[in-house]
Amino acid sequence: MSLFTSLLPTFSHSKTPGSTDEAMTPRVPSYSLRETDEDYTLTVDLPGVTKDGLTVTAEDGVLTITGKRSWRQPDGWTPIHLESTDSGYSLAFTYADAIDSEKISAALTDGVLRLTLPKSEARKPRKITVK
Amino acid sequence: MNLIRYTHPSLRRHAPVAFGNPWGGLENEIDRLFTVALGDFSADRRFAVDIYEDKDNTYVRAELPGVDREAINVEHADNRLTIRATRKTMQGDTEGTLSFSRTLSVPDNLVQADKITAAYDNGMLTVTLPKREEAKPRKVEVKVN
Repeated sequence: MSLFTSLLPTFSHSKTPGSTDEAMTPRVPSYSLRETDEDYTLTVDLPGVTKDGLTVTAEDGVLTITGKRSWRQPDGWTPIHLESTDSGYSLAFTYADAIDSEKISAALTDGVLRLTLPKSEARKPRKITVK
Repeated sequence: MNLIRYTHPSLRRHAPVAFGNPWGGLENEIDRLFTVALGDFSADRRFAVDIYEDKDNTYVRAELPGVDREAINVEHADNRLTIRATRKTMQGDTEGTLSFSRTLSVPDNLVQADKITAAYDNGMLTVTLPKREEAKPRKVEVKVN
């Protein structure tokens, strides 16, 4: 089963370009997706996100990952140069019936989220024995 | 400190974004051209850094998710602070390594190079560069006649 018919990244661009909220719009984190016969492994880079700031939901055929950064600038610190934002991260995938959402497992280590998404029985490759 | 601004890949695709500054679009566009041009010279990937200061230290916070602490190398020499890291990746079924590096200009006469420390938490590296006494802000009493 091709990846593209099973797990599709969803990009919701509801924001209007050039709006002042641009800086606070969650950014799409970098991620990679690997597929085996049994499952998909989704690896998402979420630097600065802790377990408390992370939400993973699988609802109505859409897998959503949102991460908020927990770090706040300590008192007395003055920013000199900023490239990161406090806007957090958001990533969504449409999986329809490709994965068994009951069996999703997740681990967050050093700012990297690793999700194991077992394929639904119907989507696993089946070897057909020819008699 | 001078450095070339990092643009997060997710922002790079979009048209220049004005951050409440009429010249922002042009500025970002120029930065982007430099980033693209300079990117060709190094095989290493870059990462986002934030720089802060308080009265005693300068702090560099770098986004380095998923690297081993042993694979992080922070070096200060010749007025430069260089942060290098490698990260293991899976490309298909084979294991690969990605190299990241970033160099910031940090004048030797401003920091106590032997007292630089670094900490790694939740994929963020924080480098603390203690200021030299002479670089700290000084309170000067000026008598007004």
